[in-house]
Amino acid sequence: MATLRQRYSYMVWMREFELACLEGVATREIHGELHTAIGQEAIGAGMAGFLRADDAMCSTHRNHLHAIAKGVDMRKMLAEIFERESGLCGGFGGHMHLMDSSLKFSATGIVGAGMPVAAGHAYASRLRGSDSVAVAVVGDGAVNTGAFHEAMNIAGVLKLPLVVVVENNEWAISVPFSAASATETIAERAQMWAAQGMRVDGNDVEAVASAFGEAVARARRGEGPTIIEAMCYRFRGHFEGDADTYRTEQEKEDRRSVDPLAITRKKVLDSQLATQAELEAEESSIAREVKKMLGEVRLDPKPSSEMALQHVFVGGE
Amino acid sequence: MARNLNLSQCIAESLKLEMERDDSVVVLGEDVGKQGGVFGSTRGLQKSFGATRVLDTPISETAITGMGVGLAMEGYRPILEIMFVDFMGVCLDQIYNAIAKNHYMSGGKVRMPIVIKTAGGCIGSGAQHSQCLWGTFAHLPGLKVVAPSNPFDAKGLMAAAIVSDDPVVFIEHKKLLLTRAEDFPFGSDVPQERYEIPIGKASVVLEGSDLTIATLSGTVLSSYAAAKRLEKEGISAELIDLRSVVPLDVETVSASVAKTGKLLVVDEDYLSFGLSAELVTRVLESGIEMKKFGRHAVPDVPIPGAVTLEEAVVPGEESIFVAAQRLVRSE
Ligand SMILES: Cc1ncc(C[n+]2csc(CCOP(=O)(O)OP(=O)(O)O)c2C)c(N)n1
Repeated sequence: MATLRQRYSYMVWMREFELACLEGVATREIHGELHTAIGQEAIGAGMAGFLRADDAMCSTHRNHLHAIAKGVDMRKMLAEIFERESGLCGGFGGHMHLMDSSLKFSATGIVGAGMPVAAGHAYASRLRGSDSVAVAVVGDGAVNTGAFHEAMNIAGVLKLPLVVVVENNEWAISVPFSAASATETIAERAQMWAAQGMRVDGNDVEAVASAFGEAVARARRGEGPTIIEAMCYRFRGHFEGDADTYRTEQEKEDRRSVDPLAITRKKVLDSQLATQAELEAEESSIAREVKKMLGEVRLDPKPSSEMALQHVFVGGE
Repeated sequence: MARNLNLSQCIAESLKLEMERDDSVVVLGEDVGKQGGVFGSTRGLQKSFGATRVLDTPISETAITGMGVGLAMEGYRPILEIMFVDFMGVCLDQIYNAIAKNHYMSGGKVRMPIVIKTAGGCIGSGAQHSQCLWGTFAHLPGLKVVAPSNPFDAKGLMAAAIVSDDPVVFIEHKKLLLTRAEDFPFGSDVPQERYEIPIGKASVVLEGSDLTIATLSGTVLSSYAAAKRLEKEGISAELIDLRSVVPLDVETVSASVAKTGKLLVVDEDYLSFGLSAELVTRVLESGIEMKKFGRHAVPDVPIPGAVTLEEAVVPGEESIFVAAQRLVRSE
């Protein structure tokens, strides 16, 4: 299991990774609606270190940090996001559809659609008689889809090894969670699917890690599904280019001042797990590493037009 | 003179005029209220008509479309916004088992005056956010399928869709929605007052004599640019904007092909089992003499992520130019 010190490093990697992606939007190297999870790093980093290669994770349109937590190669992720042939999916997927079959990681751009897929992974674990688990990460908007309910009910009745992490950043594009959910919390819904429900501070990486570790262990023991509702805030617009006028400037400013990186950094210093100088050195080294990675990715070729008809079927065209 | 509007604002204006005329018109969808739609095509409606008539729903497409069925049965004219056409997969059941069939199954007694308003087309967003899918909806009996190409048509066709007693799938092109009216070489003048454009009547955007290019939605604009280039090459193209897939205005296309003898169908949707084959077949069935025809559409692949791949499969100005030239020159 990762230590608090290691989780902080994860968070720095995650923030730097997202900042590198922002660059590609500005230069038009990345197309379509790019969703970053800046401000939600404590959830990504809180999940790191618990999952094995044979555990599955199903993510969303806002998937980068989840992939990093699952151990997906960041160089290949960045190349996919920057539309390169060297990318995780050869450039065929794009930033909303990162997939790594060797680590059983996948993402979908359809809200809620990852939930039943995760239940499928969990059922495969049952079929094989394995103790592997499946994780679905979704946003608070996804909990109002039919797919969420259907998947939870099946997971509940079959006691599937499913861990659902809901990143409740309080907004689904312009619609606040309070205007979209009949219940005040998502955690309280868990009981209707015979699942365990927990609500944690998603800015507290240790709280996330502790809840997630417990849920994964429970799933491995065959005790059924858990919903972890992690409270957080999306620092940027829904996607890069979103005017984001539905949230007041005051709200955004106030909420961004509670930065999970700053909180975790302070904790690390207060617990004397590192000195200020050590952290500064690490932070700039990670920033350099990501910059270097981006520099390399930019030299990679883009997929050429002749390739476009590949992969429709297994046997070729 | 073109007003200072983009296409999405023309649609919002049309919705507003219809809602003022008819209290039974209601709007349901994600982000349609406070934000006025992710593309702005419902802007201002919640302010004018209140949050009950213009409802921001949870992300619950099955509920949106199913409620639309119930509301229609109660005498309302619901406009259901499904943000991207790709998300219709989530709620296709209500669309093809209820909205499309209820009038038929009830022996003509139950009406479904519903507009399913959505956005389609390629803007570099990969396989799950780039489809057009009008061919899919056209295949299902009972749905009218409209896809405008310019601001003037968008406003008038939306009005016609709302007053239609049949369900209409209204597909707005993402690339056009945020394009300013003045940047359209055709259909840029949009009157302030309400007007309707009948659904099922194609429009001849450019007159020509050497070949007919028939298309709709975003590729009308790229075909227009291609036609201007063809003109410099001494090829005169007649450009037809079909405006709708159902009904399909074969009469206008056939009349044009009777003159040009050649038909190129350009389609941003998938090639096989779709608009291009249907249109070519119907023109052949009409009995007019067609010397040559061509189909230029997405070659039966999902829309790839990287833009270099997307450009290789989606019809654009250059590929339309090449396809038209080949059709005319290959005697
Ligand atoms: C089925 C479906 N409906 C609508 C959308 C459009 N959409 C993309 S993200 C999003 C909001 C998602 O909110 P949430 O689940 O809270 O995740 P967040 O973006 O806040 O991380 C919406 C409505 C979609 N992609 N899929």
